[in-house]
Amino acid sequence: MSGPVVILFVLIGLAILLIALFAFRPSVTTTPTRKILDFAALFILPSVCLAMGFQVHMERSKQTQFCISCHAMTPWGQSLYVDDLHHLAATHFQNHLVPHSQACFTCHTTYTIFGDAQAKLSGLKHIYMQYIAGPPKVIRISSPYNNRECLHCHSGMRVFEEGPVHAAMMDQFKSNSISCLSSGCHDVVHNTSGLAKEKLWRPGQP
Amino acid sequence: MKFNALGFDRLLRISGVLAILGLAVEAYTLLWFHPLSFVAFALVGGLLIVVGIAVYLLSLLSFLKSSK
Ligand code: HEC
Ligand code: HEC
Repeated sequence: MSGPVVILFVLIGLAILLIALFAFRPSVTTTPTRKILDFAALFILPSVCLAMGFQVHMERSKQTQFCISCHAMTPWGQSLYVDDLHHLAATHFQNHLVPHSQACFTCHTTYTIFGDAQAKLSGLKHIYMQYIAGPPKVIRISSPYNNRECLHCHSGMRVFEEGPVHAAMMDQFKSNSISCLSSGCHDVVHNTSGLAKEKLWRPGQP
Repeated sequence: MKFNALGFDRLLRISGVLAILGLAVEAYTLLWFHPLSFVAFALVGGLLIVVGIAVYLLSLLSFLKSSK
């Protein structure tokens, strides 16, 4: 459990304790001190717990573990472990080119000012799809993957920019007119349909 | 206002119960790794806490009125 979560639990415990102590006593205690304690127990602490809880949930929704907690995402979770580094998601995950704990989010957020919030909103849409509409039979990306997300990390990277193929087409990459995922280039990302045939990497067992 | 009839103590207790329930739900969702845990946090825990705070503010109003 991370630091903020521990603090939040302490605050929640404290709030419940204070409420139990003060909110259920008769109003003989309408002294100013009592009013202040009431205010802390029933207004300040619950508000703080609510705000912090929101923050913790937002952070947690970025976690790889959270993304694959929907059953429909299991194959994509497995695709991170494919034992073939031509698989784009697998190589980024296994070599820690994206943070392990936020692998999906790092590639699937949009790197714009409100990208984080946007990603959260589309997350709510996914919850709707999971529980109300039902997951679609064929899961596809909702809008074509934007090169901007790759370039967020790759632009300025020497191995990337000095490669002759990349260098020749940099403008088209930046304007998104040629996708990084074009066939023949980086077109194997998750390849979940071929997953059954792939060997999976088991960490610690080379 | 109708709430006045309930009295300050009652309102304070109602507020306390709602806030405790809301905080308990919040604590639970923090331990529950599930796609719906955020939804439960916001729609159940959050709502209970917000209503609890609102009832507390109402109790303050009723206290101010009755002490006039
Ligand atoms: C290296 C970056 C990267 C990582 C890490 C990554 N993805 Fe993707 N993902 C992509 C790209 C790029 C596409 C678009 C593929 C396409 O359009 O052909 C994609 C497509 C998808 C799709 C649409 C279906 C498909 O396969 O085309 C889903 C669902 C998905 N990813 C889920 C996940 C989940 C869940 C995780 C974490 C377990 C994850 N991704 C991790 C880059 C990544
Ligand atoms: C979070 C940052 C990040 C994002 C986003 C990202 N990459 Fe990378 N990628 C890296 C790093 C770091 C390396 C390691 C550079 C190297 O040594 O080649 C790498 C390496 C690669 C490699 C070489 C892989 C290998 O096995 O050596 C390819 C190909 C690649 N990225 C393509 C992509 C594409 C296509 C996208 C967009 C779908 C993308 N990357 C998104 C960080 C990122």
